[in-house]
Amino acid sequence: MTSRRIFLAGLAAASFAPVRGWPSVGGPDFLAAALFPDGTYRLSGLDSTGNILFSIPLPARGHAAAAHPIKAQAVAFARRPGTFAIVIDCESGTVIKRLKAPKGRHFYGHGAFSADGTQFFTTENNYETADGVVGVWDVASFARLGEFPSGGIGPHDMRLMPDGGTLVIANGGIETHPESGRTKLNLPTMQPNLTYVDLSGSILDQVELPPALHKNSIRHLAVRRDGLVGFAMQWQGSQTKHPPLLGLHRQGEKPHLLSAPDTGQSTLQGYAGSIAFSADNQSIAITCPRGNALHRFNVTNGTFTDAFALEDVCGLGAGSTGLVFTTGTGAFGTLNTTRAEISAQLNCQWDNHLIPIRSFS
Amino acid sequence: MRTLTFVTAILLPMGAHAQDSAPILMDVTETHILPRFAKLTDTTEALATTAQTDCEPGSSDLRAAYGTAFDSWISASHLRFGPTETDDRAFAMAFWPDTKGFTPKALSQHINTEDAAVDSPEAYAETSIAGRGFLALERMLYDPAIAEQGNAAYRCALIRAIATDIDQNANAMHTDWQSYAPNMTQPGDDSPYRSGDEAMQELYRALTTGLEFTADTRLGRPLGTFERPRPNRAEARRSERSLRHVELSLIALRDLTARLSFDHPEIAADLEAAFARAIDRAQSLNDPAFADVGTPQGRIRVEALQQSINDIREIASTKLGPTLGISAGFNSLDGD
Repeated sequence: MTSRRIFLAGLAAASFAPVRGWPSVGGPDFLAAALFPDGTYRLSGLDSTGNILFSIPLPARGHAAAAHPIKAQAVAFARRPGTFAIVIDCESGTVIKRLKAPKGRHFYGHGAFSADGTQFFTTENNYETADGVVGVWDVASFARLGEFPSGGIGPHDMRLMPDGGTLVIANGGIETHPESGRTKLNLPTMQPNLTYVDLSGSILDQVELPPALHKNSIRHLAVRRDGLVGFAMQWQGSQTKHPPLLGLHRQGEKPHLLSAPDTGQSTLQGYAGSIAFSADNQSIAITCPRGNALHRFNVTNGTFTDAFALEDVCGLGAGSTGLVFTTGTGAFGTLNTTRAEISAQLNCQWDNHLIPIRSFS
Repeated sequence: MRTLTFVTAILLPMGAHAQDSAPILMDVTETHILPRFAKLTDTTEALATTAQTDCEPGSSDLRAAYGTAFDSWISASHLRFGPTETDDRAFAMAFWPDTKGFTPKALSQHINTEDAAVDSPEAYAETSIAGRGFLALERMLYDPAIAEQGNAAYRCALIRAIATDIDQNANAMHTDWQSYAPNMTQPGDDSPYRSGDEAMQELYRALTTGLEFTADTRLGRPLGTFERPRPNRAEARRSERSLRHVELSLIALRDLTARLSFDHPEIAADLEAAFARAIDRAQSLNDPAFADVGTPQGRIRVEALQQSINDIREIASTKLGPTLGISAGFNSLDGD
C-alpha cells in the first residue's frame, strides 16, 4: 500500500510540470499581478529573469493566481473581499471566463486546481455566518459544482498536496464582512488553524497553534514535494511582541515554528506576506514587506540563515537557480547562496504573490 | 545569526524621518494619552459608584454616568496598543461589533443561571468578554428584552458587577499607562520602541486604524448595501450613541493628528481642514442612531460623512505617513 501511494504521488507530482500548452506562450516561468503607471492592474507572465512575456488587464487590484497543471490557462483573483476571478488563456492573452462568487460569498484571493486539471477549488467567505467555505468548480465549463466547509473562519491560501487527493487550507481565523471593508471583527476570539481535507471536504487533520499564539493568523502556504507544509503568519496581537511568522508542518504531526533572532524578528512588524520552498528543497523563506526584509531558513535543522534587506518585498517563488522575489517597487530578483540579485527593474508595483508555473525540483 | 546579508541594490527609504521626534512624543504622551486615561478612570469610578446607589435601568443618574464614562472611553479607545491591548482590555471595554450576538447570550446565561460571578470582581473579570464592558451594560440599561429576564435583584447585581468591572479595567489601563509612557518618550534598548521613529509609527498606526474603524465599521456596518441597509447594526444604537461615537472619535483623532503633524505645518493645515469638514458633517447630521440609512436622503448624508473621513485617511497615508518614515509601499501599506 505504501509503495503504491508513493508511486501515485510520483505520478501526481509529475503532472504538475506543464506538459503542453504552456511552452507555446513563450515559456513563462511565473505569473504575477501588478499596478502599472497608467493606473491599470494587469496579470503578467514572466520569464526566469523577470521580463514580461504577456500582460492581461484585470478589472481591479489582483491578489494571487493559480496556473492550470496542463493547459496554458490561469485563474486570477481579485484581492479580498473580491467577488470575481477570471480564467485567462495565457496563449492568446484573452479572458475565457469570468467566475463570479455565488450570492452571499466572496473570494479570499487563492485557489487550487486538481492534479488532473478538471476541478478548481476556491477559498471563500460565507459572510453572513462568517464560515469559511471551499467552492468547487468544473474546469471544462467553470460551472460551480458545490462547496464544503473549510474547517475555520477566514480561509486564505489553499494548496493541493503532492498525493493529489488532499487540500491543505490556511484558515486565517479572522472574521470580516464586506460591508465593513477589511475591518477585523473577531480578534479577541480568533482561532486560526491549518486544515487538511480530501477533495470532497472530509477533514483529515487539523492543527491549531498554542493558545498564546491564537492571534497569529495562518495565511499563506508552501508545499514541498514530500508533503512538508510551510505556513506564513500575520500577527494580530501586540506589536511589542515578535512571535514566529513561519511554521513547518507534516500531516499527522505537530507544527514547528521558526524565527529569526529577536533583533531581526522584531523588525518585521509581525507580518509575513509570502512563503516558498527553494527548488533544491533545502531552504524556506518568507517575505516581510512591512519590515522590508526577506528571511531564509534551513529546512532540515530549522535554523535562520539569512536576512536580505529589500524594500516592499512580497512576491516569492522557487526558481531554477534559487528563490525568486518581486517587490512593490518593481524589482524582480533571485537569491543565490549569499546575495539577492536584481535581474529586472520595471516601472510597476508587483502585488503580493509570484506564482511559479514550472516545477524545478 | 550566521550571516546577515544586506543588499545595496535597493535603497531603503530614510532621511525624511530623521527629525527629532522627542518633543512630539513627550507632548502626545503628556497631553493626549495620559489625561485621557485619567479622565476615563474618574468617570468609570463615578459610574461604578452611581450603580451602587441606583441600579434601576431607567435611572437618569445611572444613564448619565454611563454616558459620561462611555464618552471617555470612546475618546481614548483609538490608543489601542501597549497597556490598552494587554489582556484584550479594549475588547473588554467595548465588545463591538458583536457579529454573532455573543453579548445578549452571555448576559442571558448569567441571568438564567444566577451566575455567582457577579459577587466578585475577580470572578466577573474571568467571564465571557462579550458580557463585559459598555455594550453589555447598554443591554442591561436599554434593552427591554433583557429587562424581562430573571429577577430584578439579580439584574441589579449584574449591572453593578459590569460597572465595577469597567472601572477596574480602566484603573488597570491607567496605572499601566503611567509606567508605559516612558517607553514612548525614552525609546531604546529597554523599551519596546527601539527608536523615536518606532514610537511615532505606533501613534500613526493608532491614527489610521482609528479612522478606518470609524469609517468602515461605525459607518460601514449600518450603511450595509444600498439594497440592504442595516440600521440595526449601528454601534450603541439602543442608547442612541452611534453618531456621537463618530463625532467623539473624530475629535480625539483630530487632536492626535495636530500633535503628530506639528513639524509639518502645511500637512497639519490640510488635515485640520479635512477633520473640520468631517466633524461639521457629523454635527449637522440629525440622526443619532443612523436609523435613517434606509431612506435615500438619510443614506446620502451618512455616505457623505464616510467619504469625508476617507478624505482624511487619504491625506494621512499620502502626506503624513511618509514624513514619519511609514513606507507607503504597495504591499506594506495594505497587505493581505
